[in-house]
Amino acid sequence: MIKVEKVTKDYTVGQTVVHALRGVSLSIEKGEFLSIAGPSGSGKTTLLNLIGCLDKATSGEIYIAEEAVSTKNKKELALLRRQRLGFVFQSFNLIPVLTAYENVSFALSLLGVNGAEIKKRTYDLLEEVGLKGMETRLPGELSGGQQQRVAVARALIKEPDMVLADEPTANLDSDTGHEILDLMVDLNKKHGTTFVFSTHDQMVMDYARRLVKLHDGQVTSDEKRGS
Amino acid sequence: MSFLFSLAFKNLSRYRRRTLITAGALAVGLIFFIFLDGWLQGAERESERNIIWYESGSAKVMTSEYLEDLKSMPLKHAIEDPDAVEQVLEGTGVTTTRRTVFAGEIFYGEGSLYVKVVAVDPQTDGKIYRLSETVTEGRYLEPDEQGVVLGEWLAQDLGIEVGEEITIRTRTRYGAFQTFDLVVVGVLNSPNPMINKGTAFIPLSLADEFLEMEGAVTELTLYFPEWQNPEDRIQSLQNRLSVLPGITVESWKDLARDFLMIAQAKSAGSSILLILVFIIAAVGISNTMLMAVYERVREIGMMRAMGMKDGAIRTTFLFEAGGIGLIGAVIGVGLGVVLNWLMVTRGIDMTALMGQMDIGYRVTGVFYSAWHPQAIVGGFVFGVIAAMLFSIIPSSRALKMEITDCLRYE
Repeated sequence: MIKVEKVTKDYTVGQTVVHALRGVSLSIEKGEFLSIAGPSGSGKTTLLNLIGCLDKATSGEIYIAEEAVSTKNKKELALLRRQRLGFVFQSFNLIPVLTAYENVSFALSLLGVNGAEIKKRTYDLLEEVGLKGMETRLPGELSGGQQQRVAVARALIKEPDMVLADEPTANLDSDTGHEILDLMVDLNKKHGTTFVFSTHDQMVMDYARRLVKLHDGQVTSDEKRGS
Repeated sequence: MSFLFSLAFKNLSRYRRRTLITAGALAVGLIFFIFLDGWLQGAERESERNIIWYESGSAKVMTSEYLEDLKSMPLKHAIEDPDAVEQVLEGTGVTTTRRTVFAGEIFYGEGSLYVKVVAVDPQTDGKIYRLSETVTEGRYLEPDEQGVVLGEWLAQDLGIEVGEEITIRTRTRYGAFQTFDLVVVGVLNSPNPMINKGTAFIPLSLADEFLEMEGAVTELTLYFPEWQNPEDRIQSLQNRLSVLPGITVESWKDLARDFLMIAQAKSAGSSILLILVFIIAAVGISNTMLMAVYERVREIGMMRAMGMKDGAIRTTFLFEAGGIGLIGAVIGVGLGVVLNWLMVTRGIDMTALMGQMDIGYRVTGVFYSAWHPQAIVGGFVFGVIAAMLFSIIPSSRALKMEITDCLRYE
């Protein structure tokens, strides 16, 4: 489903060129629950951004459903993200003036789904992620774990091919982190959605069914585990 | 679109104080604009009316030579046969009255003043002019009497009162010096300062006799109802009068060119105020939107990551700024209209402030505003649109950032 071929990414910081990724190759199949792990500066967020079409590779190619990402223009990439990719961010990135319901339904509004369907799907999913009765709460009225549940629901509501989560538990305590990961595992099993998340937390790595380790911008190990 | 609208509306309440301060600045600008524009409009309209009622009627018929040398009021270029003019104008629906205007020097006590003397026909003058209604002391002129009516400021400058005698020195139409004594029968206080400050009125028959006019007059004042747009009427009257060589008709607009130029210049002042409102909107809204945009860079990054179009994000900020503009415009126009209403109904008495000062407008005493719906609606629309326009730059700046930079933004 996703193919990363000899991808490099260089950043220029002042006079210095930083090689964030040095020829990374990877294939991700539908339904995988994959963690990209590594220490800070290893290139995991960069790789996640490239797979999520948020950034462009310096060289190499990324294929999503056999389509080369580098050939797409800004608008096509936006459409691809809108239709096929979901994102969960470390700091939730919810819109503070919108309720939990509105933050989730917003993703469907972008797709032009009709009002009745938006309502049904949003209420169902919020119930599924354990937020029944909290639909009208603003992010500021929710705990960190609840906010991340909203973010997960927002990523999943449009039934994307893949959800990309950048350190999704980094801002949560350990118990809440477990809850969110359990939720992601459940949703992965139930919906068959591919989950790719970056982490340097051992607890998160333990949840992954496939663990790709990065170091200095290179894949050092790619380990598949049983479910 | 409804989502974008709803998001923009909710964001407005997110920074309530900032929204209100920015909208308030815009509102203050609009209040001043509506107030000043209404005031200038009021002064302009009242001036126009006072020119018609007290100064020039709708138009004047004169000889071309007299018109060319209007400032020195040369009696030698009078209309020799005013009857012929009136005959030509018969059946046109135009009201006429005869006048002879000349320069004279009034002597009273040990002092003297140069004035404009207007010889009027007391029997027909009232059909066009409303001078008799403005007499504050004594009475208005009667035909053939040896009397004079003075403008109030002139009477004050001379220190003269009703019943006292003055001497006028002038030249006849043949250039001979002539002096005659007149009794002040009345003092008038016209709303037109031009009349008050240096004009004396005497009966036409007196001027005819003392100035050796022999039935000639310097002008025929005309009145027609469509004076506000006199161009067509003037053209048709001019065509009729072409049978009388050397006779021309001049509209009040041409005669009061000085006033119209001042009014135009003051309208430009009102435009400057509109520019000021524009600057307030520009600085206030730009600054507010810049802060709003930079406080929401990560949010913008998230929305772009989710595939929201840049145009849609820009539209959200456009709606948000439009909302600030709308609040400002509603408050500004609302309070501006209330203030204007007070000015229309009650006005401001400027007597104490202005005294005998001439500011170009033909208005004295109480200044009233007028309603100018185009300016009010224009100010409202302008406030909202300007606010929306000024959100484009800050939102575009944020949208130029890479999505990954937006997401990392602290």
